[in-house]
Amino acid sequence: MNIVVCIKQVPDAPSIRVDRERMTLIRDGVENIINPLDRVALEAALELKQKQGGTVCVLTMGPPQSEEALREALAAGADQAVLLTDPHFAGADTLATSRVIGRAISMMNPFPDLVLCGRQTIDSDTGHVGPQLAEELDVPQVCGVTEIHLDGNALLVKQVSDGFQNTYRVTFPALLTVSQGLHVPRHIALGALEQAFSSARVQRWGLKDLKLQPEEVGFSGSATTVLRLHRPPQRRKGEVVSGSSLTLTEHLIAKLVSLSILDEDDEG
Amino acid sequence: MKTMKDEGWKGVWVFGDYRNYFKNRVTLQLIAKGKELAAQLETEVTVLVLGSQVHPYAMEYTAHGADVIMVVDHPSLENYQVETYVRIVSQLVESFKPEIFLAGATAFGREFFPRLAKRLKTGLSADCVALEIDTETGLLIQTTPAFGGELLADILTPKHRPQMATVHPGVFEERSHDPQATARMVYPEVDIHAEERVQLIRSKPDQSPKGGLEEAELVLVGGKGLGSKENFHMLFELARLLGGDVGATRPVILSGWTEENRLLGQTGKSVKPRVLITAGTSGAVQYTTGIQGAETVIAINRDPHAPIFKMADLGLVGDAKTVLSLVLEKLRKRL
Repeated sequence: MNIVVCIKQVPDAPSIRVDRERMTLIRDGVENIINPLDRVALEAALELKQKQGGTVCVLTMGPPQSEEALREALAAGADQAVLLTDPHFAGADTLATSRVIGRAISMMNPFPDLVLCGRQTIDSDTGHVGPQLAEELDVPQVCGVTEIHLDGNALLVKQVSDGFQNTYRVTFPALLTVSQGLHVPRHIALGALEQAFSSARVQRWGLKDLKLQPEEVGFSGSATTVLRLHRPPQRRKGEVVSGSSLTLTEHLIAKLVSLSILDEDDEG
Repeated sequence: MKTMKDEGWKGVWVFGDYRNYFKNRVTLQLIAKGKELAAQLETEVTVLVLGSQVHPYAMEYTAHGADVIMVVDHPSLENYQVETYVRIVSQLVESFKPEIFLAGATAFGREFFPRLAKRLKTGLSADCVALEIDTETGLLIQTTPAFGGELLADILTPKHRPQMATVHPGVFEERSHDPQATARMVYPEVDIHAEERVQLIRSKPDQSPKGGLEEAELVLVGGKGLGSKENFHMLFELARLLGGDVGATRPVILSGWTEENRLLGQTGKSVKPRVLITAGTSGAVQYTTGIQGAETVIAINRDPHAPIFKMADLGLVGDAKTVLSLVLEKLRKRL
């Protein structure tokens, strides 16, 4: 089974800091990681490969530094890595992003049996690229998969969706986006990481390699545009109390009593 | 500037997402918002309902303010199916040309709408927290969380139609039920070709997580600021003693402190308890969209500048873990 795993390098959630005055991302001290659900997708691919044989190719679109994410995936056990990078790709919305990634995958020979993505990223969080990539590739999709089982020449996958537990039989080619809980990503050994960073090969494809036109990709290939950024509105003005933990606890208990969550304290 | 209206794109459409009807009110909320947008654009709100024997829903949408109900009713449409829905709805969009098309950011909405937007080669914004019409251009301003929810971004779809957006449940308020209301019914001719390349084998109500969280009167939410799984689990004992349920933020889920079905916010559940206590959460918009409906919010956080205090009725600046353990101690004494 040949599997392509789409990953994205994202700033680690706790390190995201925004300059609220200038409305820009503070880049200093930001740690970049593979989007957590993409790690889960990679793990699913590696486990399928263990059972079925085949290859796992990791792919990302991003600035040159996203190569780090690919090397980390190689260290985890991926066989090949492709970096889609070109100044023209910048500023892409999900329509343009899925066009570039889709073009790259359709140029692979053989066409992969399975494309796996995380259901959404922690930075932009749209969850659009998976289903839009499936459309670009003209393959069926199941999003938010929580279990994958081999079933002869097909897969049985489970999805929890709006209060229903759905089981699908998926034949190839197909695209799945995975949800938390499918797999715990494996630990990557330091030695493997060192090796991946020093020797493993990452292919780089740009606009010309993908035979795309500048107006089809990046900002100019996007249907949406950001008009402005602003701060979330203040919703309420409440009382803010500071003090010792004991004082705060008393305030909390008093509030819970006034809201009838707790009965009046009979001990006083 | 030549507007898209000149090219015949007109009307506000809402995708009628009726599955789980009694818990899922997002379609009704979108009809209400759609009415406001339509009034500004001097047009109508159409709810598109696909399925088998969906007339009860058509009547509900009428009573909640839809001007037009477009129904595609066919036995083969009994289950929600992405490929079939994309095929049918894209045909309808191409023949009727709505300028705006909204859907709830339910699991199905998030799976179906991106693929539909791609088929239509138009833009889509995700999980909007506000929608309005730009008075100068008549374009739909779609406000979504950006940078992990630290900021909001106003998104436009200037040249492509329809302008599509998904909206998180609970962002807008539904209109009251008016049994006298009427709507025009439209039964479009469309090629129904219910063929799916993935085969749905079973679909059953998900029993695993209890629906308790959405119904609880008191919700206790813990964030990464609680420091450890053990500290987070104090919330369960508090919930048991006070009669409530426990929710979590995304970083907590990613750390494996509790199950994903407790996730609140943009990609999780929305709750509207009478009282919500949020401990060790900084207050990113992606989380707070899920707790907007709470009547009273009590926040405990060490950072006095944490955005969570801006939406709290009572803010306690201090160590959440210590405060919770002191409360637990007091409650245990009372028993």
